[in-house]
Order: sequence, then C-alpha cells, then structure tokens
Amino acid sequence: MSDGYEILTLDEVQTAEHRGSNLIPVRYTLGYRAAGVNGWIADAGGQLIPPHEEDSGNEELYVVVRGRASFEVGDETQDAPAGTLVFVPPLVHRTATAHEDGTILFVVGATVGEAFDGGGWDTFAIAFSLQQAGDMDACRALMQKEMEKRPEMWALPYNAACLESLAGNADEAFAMLARARELAPADEIAEYLREDSDLDNLRNDPRFQELLP
Amino acid sequence: MNVAHIDELEAVELPDGFTWRPVRRHFGIKAFGVNAYTPGPGGRIVEEHTERRYEHEEIYLVLRGRVCFTVDGDEHELGQGQLVFVRDPQLKRGAVALTDDAAVLAIGGRPGQAHRISSWEYEFLAIPHLRAGRYDEAKRHLHEALDAFPGQASVLYNLACVEALAGESDAALEHLNDAVSNDDELRRAAQDDEDFVSIRDDPRFPS
Repeated sequence: MSDGYEILTLDEVQTAEHRGSNLIPVRYTLGYRAAGVNGWIADAGGQLIPPHEEDSGNEELYVVVRGRASFEVGDETQDAPAGTLVFVPPLVHRTATAHEDGTILFVVGATVGEAFDGGGWDTFAIAFSLQQAGDMDACRALMQKEMEKRPEMWALPYNAACLESLAGNADEAFAMLARARELAPADEIAEYLREDSDLDNLRNDPRFQELLP
Repeated sequence: MNVAHIDELEAVELPDGFTWRPVRRHFGIKAFGVNAYTPGPGGRIVEEHTERRYEHEEIYLVLRGRVCFTVDGDEHELGQGQLVFVRDPQLKRGAVALTDDAAVLAIGGRPGQAHRISSWEYEFLAIPHLRAGRYDEAKRHLHEALDAFPGQASVLYNLACVEALAGESDAALEHLNDAVSNDDELRRAAQDDEDFVSIRDDPRFPS
C-alpha cells in the first residue's frame, strides 16, 4: 500500500475516555488536517457525545454509523438509527446516548471561514487516557511531539503540567508550568491556575504560589 | 432538530453511474465539505478521479453495505464502519458497491485553507439537466458556479458543453476557449467530447 492513503476500521482504534464518553480518535490516528473528524462508541445506555455547546462559528455534523442513538439537541430529542445525520449549529447544547451495544457515531466539525487548526482537545484526551492507564512514557512522548509541532501553544505545556501533576511528578509539572507561563497571557493562565483541580497535588508547594500573579 | 436519514436526502443521479447525496448542501454547512453517495444502476458509488484540481484530503467512510475501493491501483473491500483516507491528492481513487444497500460518506477539504464550497457541487447539479436536455436549468447552475468561481475551467467547459448542445455555437466556442486556455487536460478531453460535435469543425475550435 502506498503512503498516500490508508484504511481504518473504526472499532479497532484504541479509544480514549473523554468526559464520560469513549472517543475514537480518528483525526489524530490518521493525521487528517482539513477538518475535525472523530468517532464515539458506546454500548446500550452509554453516553456517546459528552454534553456540550460549540463556540460561535463551529459547525458539527454527527452521523450514526452503526447501532442506534438518541440525540438531545437544544430542547428536542430524536431517535436516530444507523444512517441518520444530525447537523448541530454552534452555541446549541447537544448530547447523545447509545440504544444498542457497539453504537458508533462519526462527527465532522470545523469553524466557518477559518482554516482547520487541529490538535487540541482530542490530543489531550488521548494523553489523559495514557496517564490514567499509567503509561507516562507514552503520554510524555505524545505531548512532546505536539509541543515540537506547535511551540507557541501554551495549552500544550499547561496540559503536560496537569498530566505530570495527576501522576504525582511535581518537579516535571512545575517545569511545564513555567514554560506555559512564559507563553500564556498572564490573566488567562492565572484563572486556570486558581481553579484547575488537576493541579491540586501542587497547591501546597511554595513554587505554586510563585506562579500566581 | 436539523436531522435527515441518508435515504431521505436528494438523490442526484450522475451519468458516470453513481448517485450523489448532497449532505453539505442539504444542511447548509459552510465549515467543511461533506457528502454521501449511493450506487447507480451499474454499481459505481464513487467516481474514479484524483484531487489534483482541488488538492483535497479525502475520507470515504462506509455507512452501509460492502464497497470495493480502488486507490492507486490497489483494491480494498470495506464494510460498515471502515474508511479509506486518501492523503495524496494525486492518487486515483474510486469505488463500486458490492451490495445494493451500500452508502458512503465522503469528507474533503484542503489543509490550511478555510472551507469553500467546491465548484463541482454546482456541476453535479447541472449535469443531470444537461443529459436530460434541460439546458436552461443546467446553465442556471453553471452560471451560479461562475458567480462563485469566476474563470473556473471545469465550469466553463461544462457550460460550453450545454451551449454546444443547445445550438449556441458562439457562446460555446468562447467558453470552451476560455476553459482550455490554461488547462491541457480539458484541451485534450475536448477533442473527443461528443457534446462538441456541432462546433468541432469551426475554425475557432481549440486544437
């Protein structure tokens, strides 16, 4: 097979837990660059889409690939067998639940008028799953690769710090927080530092107070 | 809720033997390219093509049934929940359905660029009208495409086809010459295209 294409079977991709749902990280696995593409998988009664709204301009299309789902969008509900497509505009609350075992949703998303800039929440979801599984080597390697690709993005060292904090590695966490603080607008990161429970393991350390403005 | 089952979407039968289900257009999606396909009478479900013109990365996901994809000369039989990601726009890709119920979702876009509606969507809408002799309808879609994509060679070429078939020789020759002026692939295609029988002997026909 040439390097110019690849085949993927959705239910064979390693899933990542994300806010109570099981993410099939399609975009990350393929390296797709033109839009956000991912999958969600759940058994009957399980949550498919984490309840959320998208920011202004973000359009999302959900497609039931296998099984059966129930969608809640705004104040409406909809039974959705395989082959159903649901388009959700920005700022509208949405979630979905599986009604059959092995139900798979595929989702495409992007922002109107903007080039897609991937590598955000879905990458973090994979990294957090690796940390939860105790595989810090793989978790660090993934975050390091992302930081090399996007050295200006402060959320990357910040999330790396959260992962190190959760794993109980204070020194590594503070090194990453120092890096994030250099890159981030001061008031923006200060809000996260004050409220993020992922950093609770660090709060009693004198170094933490030094980070706050 | 803005919802549709794939079988409820408009079915645009294309002469190349596949049926286009215009997902993006149905929902009015502006942020990304997404469409679906079901098989035509001969079983084709994805037209054989490259993405040289649009430079799109494409994903084809099988939603239902079984489908045989041919990518870069290799054949792959895929079922529900399997996809092929064609990263390289130069690679020839296409697919035939192995079961009558097959359905494929296609996602495409150019990395690093905000999504623009592709001109082929207008051309796909025009072509069934062209084949059915509804030339005014076909021209309406193609003029809409030209408004959105001034000077787009493939649109000008298809417009020339309609005009040639409708007996509007002067307009056809003008649009055909504009179409091929920077596109050698279309220049070659024009030499054998039966749509141009009525104008091929005209000295203005591009050689």
